[in-house]
Amino acid sequence: MAETHRDGSGHDTHQHAGTAPMVEEVTDFEVLEIALRELAIEKGLFTAEDHRRYTEHVEQLEPAAGSRFVAKAWLDPDFRRLALSDAIAASREMGIDWLHPTGFGTPSDFTAFEVLEDTPTLHHVIVCTLCSCYPRPILGMSPEWYRTPNYRRRIVRWPRQVLAEFGLYLSEDVEVRVEDSNSKHRFMVLPVRPDGTEGWTEEQLAEIVTRDCLIGVALPRPGVTSNAIRPRHPAIRPVTGD
Amino acid sequence: MTTDHDISSVRVRALEQIVERGQTWDRMAARYHVTHPLPPWKSRLDATCDALDDEGAALPLLTRRDDEDRMSREVYASLPYPENQLVALAHSLVTRNVVDEDELAARMAAVRARLDAAGA
Repeated sequence: MAETHRDGSGHDTHQHAGTAPMVEEVTDFEVLEIALRELAIEKGLFTAEDHRRYTEHVEQLEPAAGSRFVAKAWLDPDFRRLALSDAIAASREMGIDWLHPTGFGTPSDFTAFEVLEDTPTLHHVIVCTLCSCYPRPILGMSPEWYRTPNYRRRIVRWPRQVLAEFGLYLSEDVEVRVEDSNSKHRFMVLPVRPDGTEGWTEEQLAEIVTRDCLIGVALPRPGVTSNAIRPRHPAIRPVTGD
Repeated sequence: MTTDHDISSVRVRALEQIVERGQTWDRMAARYHVTHPLPPWKSRLDATCDALDDEGAALPLLTRRDDEDRMSREVYASLPYPENQLVALAHSLVTRNVVDEDELAARMAAVRARLDAAGA
């Protein structure tokens, strides 16, 4: 839209300098999402108000809460003890209520929560072999790869091989434990605080605790503040049926 | 409710047409120079799944996720994520007789007419 108007507030409307570009085209997928939702509401499967609240909840979830949680546990021994003994109480100190994450209850997040403590000789990684259960209130929505049968089937059988595919090579003297989440039990990894972070603030530490570190497919390292981009490869021997 | 072995063999023409047109987010985002990794409808899709799971009667959570895995692999393998999640959900709801296929096609036409009119 090339025109620029001014509204009563004195702010430019329609086009703003620096505004991120939008897809100016209605896509079939957008249409399908709306059509399905409208039909579900009309059939009484849920209400429009429920849907709006779930959307609001989903959109405010982010892994930053988990990053702050770990940074605080690294710096505060009392909080660390609480995190390991009662992770739900520790979450509440961080402003996250696992029992009522939305304020109105969600089906998949009303659950037990446990923090898995790594040591120099013990590494944890989480999965949901059944579907894609994930500690959403503290880590946000799960990444695409976490949902895939490829990850879910292989991490429990060949954890070292799968971790190596993420670029995480663990020596043989490090025990690997894979924790299988389910609809009533969620986990998050508390990694070992890395060398080179002495004297860092909670904010500095939180920056290197990425989502992948909290799942257990990466280790925190000074200077690394984002998740690795995973290459996608087609299956060499695709599954044709069960 | 349709039995599990029927699900992937049932063709849903309205969904096949969507796949053929291929307006996936990666293509659309590239065309309009949008850098956001996920389409704007993704959070509403997640909310729909949450809302369906809350009741669980129409499409139980594990059935929904099993169907999604299976449809993504067997029927909609050409679609990326999260388009495969959305289309698999639609496929489940149609093949499990929660939503009628003709009803879905008609509603999609009505929604598109509405949205296109707004952009005219």
